[in-house]
Amino acid sequence: MPYLLRQSVFFCLVFWAILSSARAQSVSSTERLSFNRQVRPILSNHCFQCHGPDEESRATDLRLDLKASAMGDLGGYRAVVPGHVDQSELISRIQHMDPDQKMPPIDTGKRLTDREIQTLTQWIEQGAEWPEFWAYQPFPKHPAPSTEADSGWGNGWIDAWVLRGLARQGLQPSRRTDPTTLIRRLHFDLTGLPPNPEQVRAFLKNPSEETYQQVVDQLLASPHYGERMAMYWLDLVRYADTVGYHGDQDHNIAPYRSWVIDAFNRNMPFDQFTQEQLAGDLLPDPTLQQQIATGYNRLLQTTHEGGLQPKEYRAIYAADRVRNVSSVWMGGTLGCAQCHDHKYDPYTSKDFYAMSAFFADIDDEQHFKVGTNALPTRRPPELLVIGKKDRRILDELSAKVRSAEQERKSLEAKAKTLEGNDRDAAQQELDSLNAQIKSWQDELRKTESRGQWTMVTRALSKPRISRVLPRGNWLDETGPEVQPAVPEFLESIELDRRANRLDLAEWLTNTEQLSGKLTARVLANRIWFLLMGSGVSPSLDDFGGQGKPPANPELLDNLAWELIENNWDIKELIRKIVTSETYRQSSITSAQQREKDPYNQLFGRQDRYRLPAETVRDTVLSVSGLLNSQEIGGRSAKPFQPEGYYQHLNFPARKYQPHVDQRQWRRGLYIHWQRQFLHPTLKSLDAPSREECTAERPRSNTPLAALALLNDPSFLAAAQVFAQRILTETKGDIRTGVEYAFEAATSRQPDEDEARILEQLFRQSLLEYQSDPTAVKNLLSRSLIQPPETADDAELAAWVTVARALLNLDETITRN
Amino acid sequence: MNCPIDKQSETINKVNRRTFLTRGGVGLGSAALCSLLSADASARPGTLVDGEKLPHFPPRIKRVIFLCMAGGPSHLETFDFKPELIRLHGQPMPDSYTQGQPIAQLQGQSLKIQQPLCKFSRHGESGLEFSDFLPWQSKIADDVCVIRSMVTEQINHDPAHTFMNTGTAISGRPSMGSWVTYGLGSETENLPGFVVMTSVGGRNPQPIASRQWASGFLPSRFQGVEFNASGDPVHFVKNPAGISRQTQRRLIDSVNQLNRHRNQLTGNPETDTRIAAYEMAFRMQTAVPELMDFRDEPEHVLKMYGAKPGDGSFASNCLLARRLAERGVRFIQLYHRGWDHHGGLKKYMDICCGLTDQPTWALIEDLKQRDMLKDTLVIWGGEFGRTPMFQGKGGVGRDHHIKGFSMWMAGGGIRGGQAYGETDDLGYHAVKDIVHVRDMHATLLHMLGIHHERFTVPFQGLDMKLTGVEPARVIKEILT
Repeated sequence: MPYLLRQSVFFCLVFWAILSSARAQSVSSTERLSFNRQVRPILSNHCFQCHGPDEESRATDLRLDLKASAMGDLGGYRAVVPGHVDQSELISRIQHMDPDQKMPPIDTGKRLTDREIQTLTQWIEQGAEWPEFWAYQPFPKHPAPSTEADSGWGNGWIDAWVLRGLARQGLQPSRRTDPTTLIRRLHFDLTGLPPNPEQVRAFLKNPSEETYQQVVDQLLASPHYGERMAMYWLDLVRYADTVGYHGDQDHNIAPYRSWVIDAFNRNMPFDQFTQEQLAGDLLPDPTLQQQIATGYNRLLQTTHEGGLQPKEYRAIYAADRVRNVSSVWMGGTLGCAQCHDHKYDPYTSKDFYAMSAFFADIDDEQHFKVGTNALPTRRPPELLVIGKKDRRILDELSAKVRSAEQERKSLEAKAKTLEGNDRDAAQQELDSLNAQIKSWQDELRKTESRGQWTMVTRALSKPRISRVLPRGNWLDETGPEVQPAVPEFLESIELDRRANRLDLAEWLTNTEQLSGKLTARVLANRIWFLLMGSGVSPSLDDFGGQGKPPANPELLDNLAWELIENNWDIKELIRKIVTSETYRQSSITSAQQREKDPYNQLFGRQDRYRLPAETVRDTVLSVSGLLNSQEIGGRSAKPFQPEGYYQHLNFPARKYQPHVDQRQWRRGLYIHWQRQFLHPTLKSLDAPSREECTAERPRSNTPLAALALLNDPSFLAAAQVFAQRILTETKGDIRTGVEYAFEAATSRQPDEDEARILEQLFRQSLLEYQSDPTAVKNLLSRSLIQPPETADDAELAAWVTVARALLNLDETITRN
Repeated sequence: MNCPIDKQSETINKVNRRTFLTRGGVGLGSAALCSLLSADASARPGTLVDGEKLPHFPPRIKRVIFLCMAGGPSHLETFDFKPELIRLHGQPMPDSYTQGQPIAQLQGQSLKIQQPLCKFSRHGESGLEFSDFLPWQSKIADDVCVIRSMVTEQINHDPAHTFMNTGTAISGRPSMGSWVTYGLGSETENLPGFVVMTSVGGRNPQPIASRQWASGFLPSRFQGVEFNASGDPVHFVKNPAGISRQTQRRLIDSVNQLNRHRNQLTGNPETDTRIAAYEMAFRMQTAVPELMDFRDEPEHVLKMYGAKPGDGSFASNCLLARRLAERGVRFIQLYHRGWDHHGGLKKYMDICCGLTDQPTWALIEDLKQRDMLKDTLVIWGGEFGRTPMFQGKGGVGRDHHIKGFSMWMAGGGIRGGQAYGETDDLGYHAVKDIVHVRDMHATLLHMLGIHHERFTVPFQGLDMKLTGVEPARVIKEILT
């Protein structure tokens, strides 16, 4: 194409572009756009790949992640000229008719929608405001807006800010939910267990503010609170009972889980919680508990597969740890910088390797050589953890053995000097002493075997060398060496020695600095998620440029400040949230809400969702009366699972031995977590394999989950025990039985229709079982639990049907 | 496609009440879920939010059957004949080949050249070479395209399987079967869209983790469902003892009735989904036993595969694969565990080929006879190949090898009777027309009508693709 012609075509195109953007404006509203929430995500998603932080893939000098570059002179023109759409190259290029000129280039597969183009245009029109990226900025505490605070709705800054957020979109909060739903919700949220009917009735009798506050206090003080919080934490840190790779052998780590539960129950401040896990071993004279906490550094997947390349796995482990620490504490995707600088966030590849250097002192390569195909395998260094009572017994026994051995020595010496009968007598004395020592020693061993081994962190005297691996290639050792350091754009740790894991923990939780504030926001967002169903920023695991900024930023800031000002007091933050009116709203969605805020990002209602996998199990067992919730912490439990489920495991070949005693009825969080073959019922209900950090589980609703709830023998046993209770409590009166059972499952009384449906189900089932005694026998005799003698087995069987129906009810397993 | 994944789950739960009701759930691809956001009552699978549609172009095939020879079969004893190995047998492997290369169990040992333990001959009109370990597969020489230049990046079994299935060794990514059912849905309302089966026999069966068929960051209903040969074919698909079909039916009816009743008050779309899920669960309780029941197969068909009902063999699984294919299942993956031949190569090749060779042939033949091969892609291969160098763990064997190995494809759109790509004279490096695992993925998607560059799902800020960030290409040369 001749030059002139090309020029004129170009101008026509630009002219057309301006015209069409003008057209776009004409349909736009006058809403003031938020750069961070509405504009930056478009730039990030469509432009940063080539005009972003990654130096290697940057096509030109133009960077659209930096204000100076985006508004700077590019040789007579600028990408963004505030207030002047017609002069902004950005706009003309995204609307260009010439496929070679149009941005983003076609071969990237990226395409801007009309609405996105309109947003960019309108933003430039409005003056192209460009505040710094929200997540990496310090933030103030915001005083509650007075209009909202005085509105008559709500009881504090949470409600005032939620109200302000709703008002911005012309929405109102929902009404308060009914007391039954509220108390049930609160129990699920704080303990992961449903309330029993007595607890519900007690609250209904006097559902006052005071009673509510009391229940909140009670539940926060319950040992089940720690279990509930641990369930979530274990997802984040990818806790599992097996090594994950290859043979997926068991490894010793259960005491770490007990430590987490205990730490939440004692309301350990989050900075200490962080420090002990990342670096408890580096504290002066670490206590046993602090050493157990360092199991955190050992939770990653490991292998001793024959033919493994130590350097390769050294790199894999390092990357795994960086991914986890950055996800858990920083809400960051630093893992993306393993092979190149981050495409969307200012993390460099060097940051990634410098971060990994913090963990280069962890002694965890012994298993490359000594790992065995036994169950459990060997993963030194490990520590034997013995309970307090047993430790006392051990101390006493050892003292006894020591003194008896002294006595033996002198006896032996004496016996040598004796003759005849005297000598025989001494020998007899010696024999009985030996027998005594032996029995004490046996006792010692027995007591010791009650202890549990657990993986811990020990520091090598000389850390491994860390270097940048070009493109993540562990075979390439040409990259520069790096020292432990935090990502450069997030301040730094200034020391005259090598920084260590303690320094990292301190940096992550120092709220004087940006880093600690970032952690506070990440944590506060997740706690809000646990209580409201979604985060204030919906991206629980990505606070970076590709994540979604909070729709109500002041709310998130203040939640974080709550942690900062109260010395990382998690229970206090939870108390604040659950006593707000926001928390107590109904979860029923109005048509207006569905239209204006379909994903409830403004929290004008509560959320309703199926309970997490473990909680579904706990609920079913709890309703039936089968749950064993006495023991807090401790070893993993093995409930029934289908025969042969581990058939594809090898080294060693695996046969699952389910517990047949009370252990099989322990809470879901204690179920043996086999990474490669997670218990099929948990899996069907979206429990993760715990290979990576999971901040938010999917919530699916599948036929496989339905089959598990209907037919898993553990659930069937629960139904049978439940049926037994119905029968005993109601002495055969059908309506009474239905009402009793319904309330146990759902916390409320059935209405007339509901009662009738269940009565009918009972009668039909009874008829069927009465005419088929073999079925009754099969149902009751093949159960995991032997039923006691009853007068009428057919009646019990029919109640099993009703119990199963109730345990499969949507309402039973939904948190409203 | 561009349906934000974090909204995906919410879509399923909150917005989309029609999915299960109209499509029976597991069958429906996410593409349709996205479209429901736009309140379009006539939403079809393949309609995307921003107007893009799946498939991107007319597909050549409807389904994939992936025969995964777990453990890593030797390419040098199957499809890649190297006379030079015979000439140099017993001599040290030249450093120029192995310098700087990753090596598994032979680390630090002296490396000697090992000749093939079998003869090769040409078959079919095409004259494609097969080893005499594979008398049955050689009969379908004109149907298969052998790729002799495969390369992968992981040298240990577990990560290599993960790489083969997900395109990366990083955990938490979806497997290809999940990608495919996510994108295209399935054509059955009674069975899952992605089914996995396994069999064992050979040397030191390597473990297979369920992550190999995990859906990663895609919604969990797109994960592969394992069908078992013994016990319940699908977990909990059978009613417990003493519960009749009628009782179960009544129970589900009552549960659904109660859920519907309550939902008049709460208006929760997820409740509708649950009602549909229970309906499908009930249908599966019939469909799965029917599927597993070979009584409707004539004797000659059983004989052709060498299948005995319920024996859990690769032969039975191949027959089941055909039955699944007939019923509209989109992605079927069969693992045979036993190909890790560090030693006893001859003995174990005999065993592994004895168990898998005839059924593989039978599957292709059977599909052909039913006119289904034309819209099925069958892929055969391991997670890697084996070294030209000797290893002696209990007799002559070979170590893991990732720099050049063989796989084959057959079926709709594949030009059979050809070999594509080459390794060097010693069968070490792929040197001509190298095919990376992600090229295989790109090709597979292409045959299903999907442009691999445009099939993305946002996750943690990235537009994730099965083929990852490195360039991948469709191997057009092997297509008709």
